[in-house]
Amino acid sequence: MAQRVAESERGSRRIRAPRFVMALPAWIWFAFFFTIPVLWIAYYSFGYKPNIFSTIATDKLTFDRYSEALSPEFLHVFKQTLQISLLGTLLTLLIGFPFAYWLATRVAERWRGVLLGLVIVPFFVNFLVRTVGWLILLSPGGPLSTLLLRWGIRDQPIHLLQTRGAVQLGVVYNYLALMIFPLFVALDRLDPALREASKDLGASRWRTFRQVTLPLAAPGIVAGLLLVFIPLTGDYITAAVLGGAKGNMAGALVASQFTTAQNWALGAAQAVILIIMILGTVALFALLGLAIRTTARRTRRITLPAPIERAT
Amino acid sequence: MADRQDERFINILASQATAQRMTRRAFMTGSVVAAFSGGFLLAACGSDDGGGTTPSSSGSTGGAASPELEGSLNFYHWAEYDDPKLFKQFTDEFGPSTKIDVYASNEEAIAKLTTAAGSSGYDIVVPTGVFIPLMVENDLLEELDLSKIPNFSNIEPVYTDQPWDPENAHSVCKDWGSTGWILDKKQISTPIATWQDFIDVAMNEASGNVSVLDAPNELAGLYFWANGIDWTTEETADLDAYEAFVVGELAPHIKAFDSYPGVALTQGNYALSQVWNGDARQGLNAVDNPDDYEWGLGAPETELWMDNWCIVKGATHPEAAYAWINFILDPENSLKDLEFHGYNTGIAGVKEAAEEAGLPFLDMVFFSDEQVATFRAGEVNSALDRQVEIYNKAKAAAGG
Amino acid sequence: MSAVPAAGLRRRRDRVAVALRVWSIAVYVFLFLPILVIVVYSFNQGRVLLAWNGFGLEGYRTGIADNVIVDAIKTSIAVAAGTAVIATILGSFAGIALARRKGRWTPIFLLLVFIILVTPEIVDAIALLIWYVRIGGPFGPDVTIPAVSYGILRLWVGHSLFATAVVTLIVRARLEGLEESLEEAAADLYAPPGRRFRQITLPLMLPAVLAGALLSFSFSLDDTIISSFVSAAGASPWPVVVFSSLRSVLRPEIASVSTLLLLLTLFAIACVALVLRRGGQSGEEVAKTMTVGG
Repeated sequence: MAQRVAESERGSRRIRAPRFVMALPAWIWFAFFFTIPVLWIAYYSFGYKPNIFSTIATDKLTFDRYSEALSPEFLHVFKQTLQISLLGTLLTLLIGFPFAYWLATRVAERWRGVLLGLVIVPFFVNFLVRTVGWLILLSPGGPLSTLLLRWGIRDQPIHLLQTRGAVQLGVVYNYLALMIFPLFVALDRLDPALREASKDLGASRWRTFRQVTLPLAAPGIVAGLLLVFIPLTGDYITAAVLGGAKGNMAGALVASQFTTAQNWALGAAQAVILIIMILGTVALFALLGLAIRTTARRTRRITLPAPIERAT
Repeated sequence: MADRQDERFINILASQATAQRMTRRAFMTGSVVAAFSGGFLLAACGSDDGGGTTPSSSGSTGGAASPELEGSLNFYHWAEYDDPKLFKQFTDEFGPSTKIDVYASNEEAIAKLTTAAGSSGYDIVVPTGVFIPLMVENDLLEELDLSKIPNFSNIEPVYTDQPWDPENAHSVCKDWGSTGWILDKKQISTPIATWQDFIDVAMNEASGNVSVLDAPNELAGLYFWANGIDWTTEETADLDAYEAFVVGELAPHIKAFDSYPGVALTQGNYALSQVWNGDARQGLNAVDNPDDYEWGLGAPETELWMDNWCIVKGATHPEAAYAWINFILDPENSLKDLEFHGYNTGIAGVKEAAEEAGLPFLDMVFFSDEQVATFRAGEVNSALDRQVEIYNKAKAAAGG
Repeated sequence: MSAVPAAGLRRRRDRVAVALRVWSIAVYVFLFLPILVIVVYSFNQGRVLLAWNGFGLEGYRTGIADNVIVDAIKTSIAVAAGTAVIATILGSFAGIALARRKGRWTPIFLLLVFIILVTPEIVDAIALLIWYVRIGGPFGPDVTIPAVSYGILRLWVGHSLFATAVVTLIVRARLEGLEESLEEAAADLYAPPGRRFRQITLPLMLPAVLAGALLSFSFSLDDTIISSFVSAAGASPWPVVVFSSLRSVLRPEIASVSTLLLLLTLFAIACVALVLRRGGQSGEEVAKTMTVGG
């Protein structure tokens, strides 16, 4: 009642600006510096490279760049990128969840902020420099190798660099914090009383976790998965530093078309395919998640038994 | 007979006009004369040096008074290619502060400059010689006014007036070098004498531990030199064979595409690497046990590349650019630079100066005539696009 | 509580608790290991970063004296500050609009924001590269704006896209979590819209705005891909310099300067945390608002 009164009073006092007016500056900014340039790239993907001196021509539009970009060699790179990013995302979840759970449920309230802050500190060091830290660590002449040799655990220096494993390690490291944060927030919001109640009702720890904690933390898990998977798939720098030839990710293909190869049309086509791949995977998993949720809901329907006659 | 063969090969380093007169003996005599005159020049310079903190000084060898220099100078450059102390010295002596942006391949540099179309903001770019005709055609380089570079006369004539830039209209020699391999003797026991040996070892003993240069044309060179084909070939059949080999056979054995593997190899990252001579030298310099490693010059043929100072079209600090080029052509500064990057700077008398200074591994910097006779300058032609395509496919195949 | 043997429960709980704690310590070690390595190697006296050659301060001396590095850091900070300002202003207003002025436009705008967040950086980078050259003007060297080089302008715009999207979502999440009742109460008490905004809305969303500004700043500082494609002559930010060093030979200066930057950042964060503490925010709350409505 009071709400309606207040609104009509406000309305009568001034001319109503369109509802989106405050978002207008951002909208224009996005449109001019994002939408149009990216659409231009999509337009370029139908062009071709006319000769060795020029980068792009669009007088003849064709789908040929797409068939080039989907050739077996390049397709293999897209597949490998997806493998690394899916596994990497999963690993960050597996590593980050117990940590977030511990921080949210086993640590006293007053320490949580500090300990959480401690997680961010490594990420104040530049992304590349962090990766270089791993480069040094995994290097055959680096501290790890030297120690292993000295202690006689190995008789040869380690050969961990320029392997797929090194890339996997690097990406998990660089995106772990992005998983921990939303997980922590979601788990922290969880009322501990809910878990206690579940235990009081006789559920085992595992059952409590599965049926109370996990579903309530689900939005956090989803946020974490998205926050990690999406940038990870487009990132090719970590792979370039640690992976050598084995670290060829899809983003690097696009980048090289705009630097070494100077074939903008092909690069644009590869870029479009990359976006489609990311969106497609997210959509696929969203559908999967939806399917899981619907079936879980259906199977978990509780039918209350008839009240038991109790002796008073 | 031998002399005429030498004539044909030494053509690469000299223009057509001087080729007829260039026999091996003439070359040697010429070098000796140049060395002596270089020595005299050095002695003359030595007494002049020591001044020049005023911004309008034009360098130790004197010359016409130069106009006011701008406040800064922007380089578009390879990484780690000049001694940082020299940049500082230039700023101290002449005034302009230096800013350097880096590229990793000629194609990348040309790309950025073409896209920018004169608005890149760079003053100096350092392309490899064979790319210069392409850049001139795309109107990327200023024509040089050699009168503003009095130290140009310090360059040995054999390194001037190249076929890809007659009369040095657009470029001045910075340094030149070649391509070979470096290997870890502890891991490779097979002797490597030719590129074919390199390939054999790469696919067997060093499989999974070998690196090749991160450049489309040098990757192609690896195959063509090993198979006795002219590496500037534009024949489709040759390029098809190259693609089948590098994508189908060699790629899975490659550990990395690395243009600076010298240090990495001596750190244990690779067992065998295709490498430029100066970079290999830096690798050997960085360790206490250089005898554990071996450098080999490519055989029976290998590359001759020359990097050059060029002024970008539309440069906003041209006077500073000229001042820098003149500065770096000074024999003393040239020697300091050589000490840093390890490539022959082409300045008269620099070899003797280097020997006198006792710099290590000079056999990797200065080459004998027989060796130089096996060097082939490349060419930027219609095969480049295909080479880049194959290079990208090879990278994709190596990632598997 | 339930009548379960206390001893048995305690033993089971202890094992899980211990396991969790061990795991978490391992995670901290994992997170800090490369940082430790960088700090240690910043004292490397060798000429090459990867080859250890004794303890010394040479890296620090060379790094501070190297004008390329110092310029790069100055550029990075200038760019990051500008990005934070742009992103915070644009994003906050957009966030308010999304939370308080919903309408038919909301799903479209949200879709745009989502697409921006989903687009790989390399696509942004190449799109902007082509676009800047096409429109020229202040993004090219022909038109000069006083005190702002066109290189920095390019980077401000390039970095602000993703940052604005993030700030928008954070502010929106924060405001949606708070009921409008406070603002309506103020309206009922005849507070004019401007005053309402200043005294109710703004303080309420301040943690989100600050978190957004902080995130934008650190995102811009770290950004490598967009920077390496659109940066112009003489305005290379720090990550681009590190990246080019990576493609040739890494020197100890990189590690030394990074260590110095880390110390500076920690100091700055400590100051901000102190200010926030005084303002009544716990560190945890700031951290919470930094995640997108998670």
